[in-house]
Amino acid sequence: METTRKWRWGVNRWIVLAFIIFSIVAVNIFAPVQPHIQVAAENITDATLNLGPLGKVPFANTWTTLLVLDLIIILLAWSVRQAVKKGDLVPHGIAGGMEMFVEVVYNLTESAAGKWAKKIFPWFATILLVVLVANLMKLIPGMETIGVMHHAEGEGHAIQSLGGNAYNLLPEVVECGEGYVLTPFFRAVSTDLNFTLALALISVIMTQVIGVMAQGPRYFTKFLNFTTMFKKPFFGFMDFLVGMLEMISEFAKIISFTFRLFGNMFAGFVLMALVTSMLPIFVPSMISMFEFFIGLIQAFVFGMLTMVFMAQATQGHGGEEEHH
Amino acid sequence: MSGDIVLAAKFIGAGLAMIGALGGGVGIGLSVQGALQGMARNPDAYGNLLTNMILGIAFSEAIAIYCLVIAFLMLFVL
Repeated sequence: METTRKWRWGVNRWIVLAFIIFSIVAVNIFAPVQPHIQVAAENITDATLNLGPLGKVPFANTWTTLLVLDLIIILLAWSVRQAVKKGDLVPHGIAGGMEMFVEVVYNLTESAAGKWAKKIFPWFATILLVVLVANLMKLIPGMETIGVMHHAEGEGHAIQSLGGNAYNLLPEVVECGEGYVLTPFFRAVSTDLNFTLALALISVIMTQVIGVMAQGPRYFTKFLNFTTMFKKPFFGFMDFLVGMLEMISEFAKIISFTFRLFGNMFAGFVLMALVTSMLPIFVPSMISMFEFFIGLIQAFVFGMLTMVFMAQATQGHGGEEEHH
Repeated sequence: MSGDIVLAAKFIGAGLAMIGALGGGVGIGLSVQGALQGMARNPDAYGNLLTNMILGIAFSEAIAIYCLVIAFLMLFVL
């Protein structure tokens, strides 16, 4: 065992060296280009999808990534289903990993939410899984670098033919109207504000639904607190103001959920793009490692906060619990 | 000329917006300090403290991230 481990280390070291040399050669052949950075997702084609009353929706390049994301999650679910059908009590491979994931997440939910864990767990696990896969997909090579060339409106880059219909961007900046910019086929889905906003809305609205399920209409006294208004005039009024603050904080939750994930992932994308265009050898791999870590943490934080808010919503606030 | 001044103002504005990251940094440092002291005194509470620490870090990091988003908006959108 000991010798095998040493031997693997030796091989890994040479693989790393080979990759460094390969990156030096690759950088000399295809010089890195500082990409065109845009906050909104780029549109792949000019065609739009007509949704009737909702208006026209352009085909953004986060859609393709979202499709791949859905495919990955469906494949995960399918492989777990196959493993369950086989009837092994001890699942292996992907199914084993998923079992571990579900067990860890369920225990976490149960320790925070108690008897409501069964209701809260699906939301927690779904958000965790979707955001995790979405964040880690950002690290696949070819993401955000392969796409359609089109004429730049402002300044663009010169291009070089690679034979056939393939072109390569050159780092030289050319005059207005003649340059090209790249619209990638795949852009990390968490760097689209629509995706994070949708997840945040789902999370916050389902928190209210679970709160009502747990406490009934009494849940809303958290926001419109008239219960103590007439018994203790001054403090009752203070309680009412606190209720108003609670209501504002629900809307602040939507904003903070949205921009936390979007900001982290978009900052990662910009950091990656700038570092790759300035120091193309060896440093981007460390940034990738950092991005992997950030993606993991943000997925965990998004799911965990959803779970904690839902668990809080199932419990009435302290003062009322004492009366019962 | 006026375009250059607007461009310079964008860059200055983006730089000024990032001053807000100071608060986020201090907040993360304080929360990790508290959690580490707790872990050192009571190693059994490690797991519980770790999850709560990460939650606290996420909350204070969000403030810095807002500044970052504002800076990005100034650089790439306006």
